[in-house]
Amino acid sequence: MCLGIPGQVVELRDGGLVPSGVVDFGGARREVCLAYTPDVGVGDYVVVHVGFAITKVDEAEAKRTYDALAAMHELGELEAMREADATLADLDALPSKVGPGIVA
Amino acid sequence: MKFLSEYRDPALAQALARRIRETATRQWTLMEVCGGQTHTIVRQGLDELLAGAVEMIHGPGCPVCVTPLEQIDRAVALATRDDVIFTSFGDMLRVPGSDCDLQQVRARGGQVRIVYSPLDALTIAERHPDKQVVFFAVGFETTAPANAMAVWQARMRGIRNFSVLVSHVTVPPAMEAILSAPDNRVQGFLAAGHVCAVMGWTEYEPIAARYRVPIVVTGFEPLDLLEGMLLCVEQLERGTHEVVNQYARAVTREGNAPAMRLIREVFELKDRQWRGIGTIPMSGLGLRPAYAEFDAERRFALEDIVASEPVECRAGAVLTGQLKPHQCPMFGTACTPERPMGAPMVSSEGACAAYYNYGRFRTARAAATAGAGT
Ligand code: SF4
Repeated sequence: MCLGIPGQVVELRDGGLVPSGVVDFGGARREVCLAYTPDVGVGDYVVVHVGFAITKVDEAEAKRTYDALAAMHELGELEAMREADATLADLDALPSKVGPGIVA
Repeated sequence: MKFLSEYRDPALAQALARRIRETATRQWTLMEVCGGQTHTIVRQGLDELLAGAVEMIHGPGCPVCVTPLEQIDRAVALATRDDVIFTSFGDMLRVPGSDCDLQQVRARGGQVRIVYSPLDALTIAERHPDKQVVFFAVGFETTAPANAMAVWQARMRGIRNFSVLVSHVTVPPAMEAILSAPDNRVQGFLAAGHVCAVMGWTEYEPIAARYRVPIVVTGFEPLDLLEGMLLCVEQLERGTHEVVNQYARAVTREGNAPAMRLIREVFELKDRQWRGIGTIPMSGLGLRPAYAEFDAERRFALEDIVASEPVECRAGAVLTGQLKPHQCPMFGTACTPERPMGAPMVSSEGACAAYYNYGRFRTARAAATAGAGT
């Protein structure tokens, strides 16, 4: 549960309560909270855990970590992302089950 | 050996292992605290590779494993309610409660949803204002910043149908509890790199000094672990006991200051029960009074749900290093990953499941058979 996954910041988003951005994990992309790494910019590498960048790393370290996770079949963080996105989509798709009040 | 073929730099790994064996004049007993590291060590056979020089005890660092039975029962009670959408990290669904687990509640039609991030739970709450959305906030220092942010945002954004069932634990008090036990065997620690990425290692310094144990902040890859063991063994041979950072690539002494700030804003230290170990004073986090309205235990009056753990499960002894998983009489017979009796068999990061999954089961059986024959 505690291993993060490294990815590259490809987009910064402002306007929210706290800074966020889009991070690319070997092709898969997801919105990530950047509140704890306020100094990162597009192109930087971060280690992401449960949707939060917790530390900035250099490119070599990001690659090394990603490869090691892949070699160890430990890309669970990515699977969890996919599964969770399916959950959210599922909840949206079944409004009658969970009642009204859905906003897009 | 298995780990040579699976790891991409076998020569370097071999060289490190050789140096550890050359450095150690006796066998030293080290503990890795983190369940992710346990998984790697057992999977790659690092402990077997270093037998005679290093004995690894597998510590309590798997949040899935140490979440007390009582909190699982409370989660099950919440998930069973019609007005609740219960959200959780996927790992928690198969942890056995007294009667059933969350997965079974879901199979019976309960609204149990796996989320990747606590912020996903907040999104669900926003989209379903007619429901109570509860998030199971478990974990060590690595998930605390995320969970703190979800609660803080819920308050800032006025999302009142959101609450958290908190079962947060912190590493240093558990290390102290292990070190101060009269039968403690741990002589040095590998501290978890990702935990330290958040909290730094200043809190470890007084522990290293007080108990005279070297503590090495270590990454989770096989090479990191071997290097961490070497740095620990070198200190033990020299008689020093400092906190050393093997994982400088991602960790600084101060840790992540903004994350620590928000953790302290939302949470305060609290006595926590650890599954199989019992209550350790000030060993976890609970919501501060200012955030009490987001406390699911309060909102749903869950205090009445109490549970005691099955006596057959030796999780406490396993998690404190008194017993190796395969030495538990239930291991591989009454207790398997398919039908776990205790939490360390549930998560792949749990010591019992790691032993079971990576062939120690057979070793244990063979040893038992051989023992029975003599
Ligand atoms: S093998 Fe099963 S019963 Fe024994 S300590 Fe591990 S989890 Fe508990």
